[in-house]
Amino acid sequence: MTAVHWIRRNLFATWLDGIVTLACAALVMRYLPPILDWALVNATWNGADRTDCAAGGACWVFVRVRFGQFMYGLYPPAQTWRVDVAAALLVGFVVPLLMNSAPYKKLFGFLTLVVFPPVGVWLLLGGLGLPVVETRDWGGLMLTVFMTVYAGICAFPLGVLMALGRQSRLPVIRTLSVVFIEFWRGVPIIAVIFLASILLPLILPAGVGVDRLVRAVVGLALVIAAYMAEAIRGGLQAIPKGQAEAAAALGLGYWRATWFIVLPQALRLSLPALANEFIALLKNTTLVLVVSLFDLLGIVHAALADPKWVGLTMEAYVFAGSIFWLACFGLSRWSAGLEKRLSAATKH
Amino acid sequence: MKIRHFAAAVLAATVSFGAHAQQLVPSPTLDAIKARGHLECGVHLGLPGFSFANDKGEWAGIDVDYCRALAAAILGDSTKVKYTPTSVQQRWPILQSGQVDLLSRNTTITFSRNASLGVNFQGINFYEGQTFIVRKKAGITKPDQMDGATICVAAGSTEEKQATDWFAERKKKVTIVNFQKNDDAIAAYDAERCDAYTAGFGALAGQRIKLKSPDDNVILTELISNDPQGPTTRYGDERFQAVVRWVLNGLIAAENLGVTSKNVDEMKAKSTNAEIRRLLGVEGGFGKMLGLSDDWMYNAIKQVGNYGESYERTVGMSSSLKLPRGPNQLWTKGGLLFTPPFQ
Repeated sequence: MTAVHWIRRNLFATWLDGIVTLACAALVMRYLPPILDWALVNATWNGADRTDCAAGGACWVFVRVRFGQFMYGLYPPAQTWRVDVAAALLVGFVVPLLMNSAPYKKLFGFLTLVVFPPVGVWLLLGGLGLPVVETRDWGGLMLTVFMTVYAGICAFPLGVLMALGRQSRLPVIRTLSVVFIEFWRGVPIIAVIFLASILLPLILPAGVGVDRLVRAVVGLALVIAAYMAEAIRGGLQAIPKGQAEAAAALGLGYWRATWFIVLPQALRLSLPALANEFIALLKNTTLVLVVSLFDLLGIVHAALADPKWVGLTMEAYVFAGSIFWLACFGLSRWSAGLEKRLSAATKH
Repeated sequence: MKIRHFAAAVLAATVSFGAHAQQLVPSPTLDAIKARGHLECGVHLGLPGFSFANDKGEWAGIDVDYCRALAAAILGDSTKVKYTPTSVQQRWPILQSGQVDLLSRNTTITFSRNASLGVNFQGINFYEGQTFIVRKKAGITKPDQMDGATICVAAGSTEEKQATDWFAERKKKVTIVNFQKNDDAIAAYDAERCDAYTAGFGALAGQRIKLKSPDDNVILTELISNDPQGPTTRYGDERFQAVVRWVLNGLIAAENLGVTSKNVDEMKAKSTNAEIRRLLGVEGGFGKMLGLSDDWMYNAIKQVGNYGESYERTVGMSSSLKLPRGPNQLWTKGGLLFTPPFQ
């Protein structure tokens, strides 16, 4: 198929398509050049402060100077290697887990879900030989990733249990699960974070301080667990009853039947929905700004309060937005790939 | 409580009779600060000139400077402060639940907050209030010269109501142009669609440097509303409250007495002025009376500077905000900033 062919078929198939194509082209021609001028052509990349940004375009000097803070928050610069190591471990464990062809899936699953969480906290927080870095100094992209990963790790098992509980024949367990799910699904995340971080200290006896970050992560995890439970329930309901019955006929009890037969299939079915929840979680972490935790968006926002950089709002938000977009886009591409592979696997 | 108050009264009486071997009123907050070795200070999330993290990740600003001075007075080291950034919604619970020792975060002092939130305001470190920014070429120096002007405001804001009332009371005719958001209003002002934009005195400092040519605009120093701000503590622990109050007073007194971070050593060694000598702990033993070392204010002034130095460095002429002193000038120089004597 030649290029002309392709264009005719895809862009000018009908007269309506033609008009839409031309209108889009006109919009792009009208708005793209000024955006490119601002972001690239007239932008300033090198310098020390805003007085170097005389070209009229974007002042990326700001992002360059503050890059360390945007990544690590107020984490002591001499200790940031620990964040890098933790990130490298996470990537090293998760990537083989996500790749189709990599061997030792079980090992990497174990490393990600059981080994990484305590090791990651130790690296970031310190103690046992490392200098302690309080959570108040954490921030930037590192905090965003931390909250997403840890809230996700807490929420996933809880979500599985709640989803199973909701299907249970035991009325007490079923009711508890329904109440849990419906409660946490019904309250806005921002309210949960707010209550967890403001009401809790007033109720708890003086001196019993639960770390602000922990409270935020737990709040996020509870809400996301409820959403995940619903996603997994969808998967559970798609498994024919016959599967569980066949397992029972073979002499497997409830737990073994669930663990070996039902859950693996249900999770596979609900993976795309779970990935969706994960993307939502990543974006929802920005809500912690209301309790003054400086996640990526928060630290970018805070940097704008420095008289040295006041007013560079566009640069700040374009930068934060691109990072979020990259992360979410990556996740959604991965989940799309997964979906394709799984549907291929189930079609015999 | 009664017994404690009685004890306090007795102690106060003893002190006033000049007994030097006094017993101090217990202060759990001061004890805790000394035990943990740092001050816990609640600051604003980010407000230009008042509280922000700089490129090096250090907190800076006029409200942060006060925390540093307090740490220098209590612990002898202005760097021994840990900052908790607080949002508008969080500030009171964080103070009430004891997560911070005090708030130094631009928060307006009002009767109802003092009476119903269980918080005490320990003085004023910044006289905030609504005022106007106008173009220099208009030649306006006071709000009541704005007869016939158009003013850009965000619709439904407190500022809109306050400005309307203020001009109506004085029978001046101004045209209020409404915008949906503050940002739109200031953009319209910058595009010369109105003669003025209105907001708080301190807030305008941060807005002015966003304009196309900041130097062509002036912030009027006469305020049409009264929103003073200062360090805030929770109820209880009167001795700590006294420390918070008198460190602020000390910084203001130092400026009034001409004591700066540069000449403080010389002043301490040579000054014959009795108040300076008491302030710097050469005589009188004032620090000890509060349970601090006698060089408490010497440390604060030496390490942070007096009020004026801090103001100029953070929001004033040596900063990029270039905010005039306005009401935040000493009472001896036509401003409102006042301190009772160190006697």
